[in-house]
Amino acid sequence: MKPKPPCRFVVTVLVPDRVAILRDITTAVTDLGANIDGVSQTVVNGYFTVTLTAAFAAPVPRETVRQAILEKFAPDEASVDVIPHDARRTARPPVKGERYVVTITGTDRPGVLKTVTSLLAAKGVNIEDWQVGFDGPLVTHIGEITVPPLLDIKQFQDEFRQAMAALALSGCVQHENIFRATNEVGAVRMLLEGRAHA
Amino acid sequence: MLRSREILATLRMLQEENLDVRTVTMGINLNDCIARPTTRMVEAVRAKIRLKAGNLVRLCDQISTKYGIAVVNKRLAVSPVSILLEGRAPEDALALAQALDDAAADVDVNLIGGFTALVQKGMTPGERLLIESLPAVLSRTERVCASVNVASTQAGINADAVRLLGQTILRVANATRERHGFGCAKLAVFANIPEDNPFMAGAFLGPGEPECVINVGVSGPGVVKRAVERLIESRPDCSLDEIAEEVKHTAFRVTRAGELVGREVAQRLGVSFGVVDLSLAPTPRVGDSVGEIYQAMGLRAIGAPGTTAAVALLNDAVKKGGAFASSSVGGLSGAFIPVMEDHALAQAVAAGTLSLEKLEAMTAVCSVGLDMILLPGDIAVETLCGIILDEAAIGVVNHKTTSVRLVPVPGHRVGDRVDFGGLFGSGTVANVNCPDGATDFIRRGGHIPAPLRSLGN
Repeated sequence: MKPKPPCRFVVTVLVPDRVAILRDITTAVTDLGANIDGVSQTVVNGYFTVTLTAAFAAPVPRETVRQAILEKFAPDEASVDVIPHDARRTARPPVKGERYVVTITGTDRPGVLKTVTSLLAAKGVNIEDWQVGFDGPLVTHIGEITVPPLLDIKQFQDEFRQAMAALALSGCVQHENIFRATNEVGAVRMLLEGRAHA
Repeated sequence: MLRSREILATLRMLQEENLDVRTVTMGINLNDCIARPTTRMVEAVRAKIRLKAGNLVRLCDQISTKYGIAVVNKRLAVSPVSILLEGRAPEDALALAQALDDAAADVDVNLIGGFTALVQKGMTPGERLLIESLPAVLSRTERVCASVNVASTQAGINADAVRLLGQTILRVANATRERHGFGCAKLAVFANIPEDNPFMAGAFLGPGEPECVINVGVSGPGVVKRAVERLIESRPDCSLDEIAEEVKHTAFRVTRAGELVGREVAQRLGVSFGVVDLSLAPTPRVGDSVGEIYQAMGLRAIGAPGTTAAVALLNDAVKKGGAFASSSVGGLSGAFIPVMEDHALAQAVAAGTLSLEKLEAMTAVCSVGLDMILLPGDIAVETLCGIILDEAAIGVVNHKTTSVRLVPVPGHRVGDRVDFGGLFGSGTVANVNCPDGATDFIRRGGHIPAPLRSLGN
């Protein structure tokens, strides 16, 4: 007899931030018999958002999971989505290349992210993480990206700087090791060998 | 994953506070170039430097771009040239110096050190020839830097060598009198010279070092100054130990940046990585000054009582931060006080708050010595020798490196202004108290024995 495929969902929740949201969501999912095996959570402009993956020992309808979470919130307070985890679609080969850090600073204006992400996509650069912070009219973008091995980094840096200058912003692309070396305590030689610090 | 705050802190150091790699210095052993006739040796020297350092500047520029950190100077430090000069004539010394100068230009480095003699205990004919050739060498080459070690804790002080150096410094000043004695800015006289120092003018590849090695000098007085200022802005009544702690943390970050660049340059060139030398080496730019750090700590007048303690605090905190950051810390590692190259120190000398004697006291607790001091052109050789002897004594007794770079300025008197331009900066000719007071003592020559290393109180 063939074993049943595991029942695994990807859950996303968007809700105005308050204390104990993550407790409420994880309680709802765990009480249905799930093991939560992946979480990414942040708050953007007062909105809490989380994406988690949960594996269930026994099959559970996705709508049951969704309703269990919604019951933890007031009507119309939260937006919840539950989709089956598709291992075939997520099992893409890892993006090859070296990690760089993008920083953009200056006065905010519409179109910055569109310009930046278009430029990065055209170069085959994968965005691993992106954060934006505001201080009055000033904005700071910090992105972690993977740069393809054959990309001419100097040319890319120049194009990036010019694209940001056209928006009256200051932009830099620097290898992540300069930030890791100056902020972590592990041996520098391990960074150059591509080994993570313990 | 990196945090935004950490990324922005590093970015601020790089973009606003002048954090840079002050020098990537490649050490090259030239001892296998010994050959006769001299023309053959000179060709071998040129060929070896081109072979080893041909890609140095290009790689440094690539790595600088990759990390977004400036590598300000790319330099060479060769094994002591005096070894190559044994049994040669004065014209051979000049030919060798010119070959070094040409090779440095070929590989596009701005300075080459190692025109060096180690004479703390005695002097070979080749070492004497090297010292006597310095007026011609330093006046007819652009990139060659010279250093002479006249003392060590192990050997004591070679007072005869000091006397020869005093005479030589005056001859170098006169040979470069049309440039206000600038040749002397490329000559450092040491006690306990380090074998792996990447900073000029004293860089050379010492005994016990590899065949070819990358040593890195990082600086960053601007970074340290801003860190101290931020601390005091947030806590105006902070104590000295809090300042020391802040300097230590900042030194850690600066050292790590240098080690990253140095190790990658070495790795890509396929040579050994030697040391990272975190020395707060100022430039004449405002915001890149060690003197400004003392002012930020609360010294309104540099040279006032308390200045030596401030130097000691800074020097020690820099060393501790560097030592925690890397197991490959070496060279001088501490705080430099090169008067001409630091606008705040130069102003203090001009204002009269910082005297030669106070500077000498500061050198007992800083990482080097009396560095880039302008002196009257008519200074007596015995006075120069006395200054060198005093500085050597501080190094020998305290088991530390001290050096002097003294620049007698022909035709200039106390209080005159001199500007060398660029990184060498500008300054005021300093006064020497009792200039003739030790003539008889200096003229005795000989050797000051090594100090006792027990009964240490």
